[in-house]
Amino acid sequence: MIKIVKFAREHWVNILVPMGFVIGWFLDKQQDQKLTAFRNKSILYSRELKPGEEVTWK
Amino acid sequence: MNPYVLITLLFGLGLGTTITFTSSHWLLAWMGLEINTLAIIPLMTQHHHPRAVEATTKYFLTQATAAAMLLFASTTNAWLTGQWEIQQMTHPFPTTMIILALALKVGLAPMHSWLPEVLQGLSLTTGLILSTWQKLAPFALLLQIQPADPFILITLGLTSTLVGGWGGLNQTQLRKILAYSSIAHLGWMMLILQFSPTITLLTLITYLLMTTSTFLVFKLNKATNIATLAISWTKTPALTSLTPLILLSLGGLPPLTGFMPKWLILQELTKQDLSTLATLTALTALLSLFFYLRLSYAMALTLSPNNATGTTPWRLSSTQSNLPLALSTTTSILLLPLAPAAMALFTP
Amino acid sequence: MLKMIIPTIMLIPTTWLTPAKWLWPATLAHSLLIAMYSTTWLTCLAETSWSTLNSYVAVDPISIPLLMLTCWLLPLMILASQNHLALEPANRQRTYISLLTSLQFFLILAFSATEMALFYIAFEATLIPTLIIITRWGNQAERITAGVYFLFYTLMASLPLLVALLVLQHHAGSLSILTTQFLYPTYYTSYSNKLWWAGCMLAFLVKLPLYGVHLWLPKAHVEAPVAGSMILAAVLLKLGGYGMMRMMAILDPLTKELSYPFIIFALWGLVMMGSTCLRQADLKSMIAYSSVAHMGLVVAGILIQTQWSFTGALILMIAHGLTASALFCLANTNYERTHSRVMLLTRGLQMALPLMTAWWFLATLANLALPPLPNLMAELMVLTALCNWSPWTILFTGAGVLITAAYSLYMFLMTQRGRLPPHIKSLDPSHSREHLVIALHLTPVTLLIFKPELIWTWLI
Repeated sequence: MIKIVKFAREHWVNILVPMGFVIGWFLDKQQDQKLTAFRNKSILYSRELKPGEEVTWK
Repeated sequence: MNPYVLITLLFGLGLGTTITFTSSHWLLAWMGLEINTLAIIPLMTQHHHPRAVEATTKYFLTQATAAAMLLFASTTNAWLTGQWEIQQMTHPFPTTMIILALALKVGLAPMHSWLPEVLQGLSLTTGLILSTWQKLAPFALLLQIQPADPFILITLGLTSTLVGGWGGLNQTQLRKILAYSSIAHLGWMMLILQFSPTITLLTLITYLLMTTSTFLVFKLNKATNIATLAISWTKTPALTSLTPLILLSLGGLPPLTGFMPKWLILQELTKQDLSTLATLTALTALLSLFFYLRLSYAMALTLSPNNATGTTPWRLSSTQSNLPLALSTTTSILLLPLAPAAMALFTP
Repeated sequence: MLKMIIPTIMLIPTTWLTPAKWLWPATLAHSLLIAMYSTTWLTCLAETSWSTLNSYVAVDPISIPLLMLTCWLLPLMILASQNHLALEPANRQRTYISLLTSLQFFLILAFSATEMALFYIAFEATLIPTLIIITRWGNQAERITAGVYFLFYTLMASLPLLVALLVLQHHAGSLSILTTQFLYPTYYTSYSNKLWWAGCMLAFLVKLPLYGVHLWLPKAHVEAPVAGSMILAAVLLKLGGYGMMRMMAILDPLTKELSYPFIIFALWGLVMMGSTCLRQADLKSMIAYSSVAHMGLVVAGILIQTQWSFTGALILMIAHGLTASALFCLANTNYERTHSRVMLLTRGLQMALPLMTAWWFLATLANLALPPLPNLMAELMVLTALCNWSPWTILFTGAGVLITAAYSLYMFLMTQRGRLPPHIKSLDPSHSREHLVIALHLTPVTLLIFKPELIWTWLI
């Protein structure tokens, strides 16, 4: 038990960079969703959907 | 100094500036400026040694001259146009004269030579008041005047940035360097005054923040020349490593706060099709940058030799309150990303 | 994009909160993690234009190789500086790593900015950490002068760039890199327009550096500690080339008329800097001058603006980045053992450090552009494009290539071959850390032989 606490105290900082990655990934995804929503609504990029096609396209 | 006297004087300082802020009548504005000057004079001679008295005398004489000029100009204005309104300056002669009087009051080149001499004779606290609070009242007036001749402000501004840069180059005394730095920054504010008073105000505020943190750092280290600065790492190690950032921010390097006003000023100047002037002004900033860089070198980027006992003063805790220093340091380093917010804050 | 930027920022608290004994391993591991993750950008190469678009940042095939180089360099710098900082107190080590990390942050911003103003700020922001690294951790007293030269040369040229950008913003209404290239080209040939052109170019030419405004570079390289030299040679110079590539799209009709003197300077610099290398006594200064010579080819390649020359310039930037950085690391391993950069005093090291000689050999060959290496591909493409532009340039480029081979050979023979001088009594054997650093530099160079399209995308 003590070993685990010691290990955690020494190495908890190693979580920071992966955490940053997760936060960045989340924010990126939000941004993508925002841009996609914008594109789906725009007249410039909208087109006739094939039957059965999702609203979002890549 | 007796605390009651001190409080009265500080109250006088505040009162003078507030009167000038709130007045729309030239006579009242002039009175505010005079109260301000009279309140700071006892503070300047607080430590009653010859150098302080000399500085006070010089300050008194220049301020009295400026105030007399201001009074004369506003009386002339009343005589010529029949009113005392600050915002209704229409005649070019009193307007020019008032701008020159206020330039003498804040220490713009070519009326600058009193400022380094006076600042050098003061303690760092009074120096801080002189180079921050005392600039506010004259600037409140300057912001309300529309100059008739566009060249006078540009000439004042450009000479100030040049003189401020050049004058500081061969100084070893920190207070004189700060005085020249003040001249250079005021020059930037003057350049933009007629095109966008908002940016002048923003520049003034950021300059006040940066210069406050510089003065407080020097005060904490009890440093008045570059040589003393070199051992500041034994007194405040963490602050010492941050100070180059404050100094380079004063010099206007991106991505620090000091770049924000310079950026906005250059943008406004290029919008007015004054690109040559903008380039010239930007390059004069390099002169100032050189002495900030020299201070940074002495303070943090080189390690001066010291003996074993000389490295211990950091263990003694300081009696100075650290909160203002912490606040002003943070804002004087990290404000650039907030530039749009800052601009929106000052836009009327 | 934030997937890369936020972990880079998080590396700074990691540096400060890790226990001192884990400082170097932890930062190294995390920076390697970021570098590894940066390879996902390679999938974006398949797309023809911008990807991972955000409000302010995006990547495209020009910036992806440079971004990956930036991310790759941070673990290498951390690995290379361990011995240099071993005797410093822990907090200074942490400050040093934080500076290197902040440099990576600003460089990522600079290479991926979609707005010229953000690019400019990040471009300038790299000055402060570099200045601190050079002047705080350099070895000689001359580092003060080197810092002043570095800062003022760069700022002298980049303040006009700021004004030029603001003028562009005033006239075009935007500084977005995504859209300004579709601006209606300006056909004025007035005096002020030419000055504007010069304002836009000069900052990058000084940064690159072009022959004639290069004096700051050898000074900075000689005085900087190993990580400073590495990042300066590998990435900071490339900021100039990258900026020029971006600006070229806007400056279009004027460049054709105005670029002649700069091309002449670049080609003449190729010969002159090569000849300067031939008579250098100082190892680091020689590598620095060799960088200037190589950057001359980049300048010439970018200024004539053909597809081949642009591609060649980009490949040269990447290949030279890795090679020059490897050479600086090697020079530093010598310096840490002999405490001298003078080549006369550090001869015949093959006897003492035989495996290092192998690395020296490979790095030298890469520097003189041996056939299959990307360095040669780059030189061939720029040379061909230049020769197509004007056959006379072959005089300079041919001589330049010959002199490059000559001084690379001179550098190798001087430091490695011959008898070990008697004053070198005992040298530390080379550490596996040092071998690892060089291997991590030279492996990408070698692997790029097999898949050069990763950095050629401009042509495809």
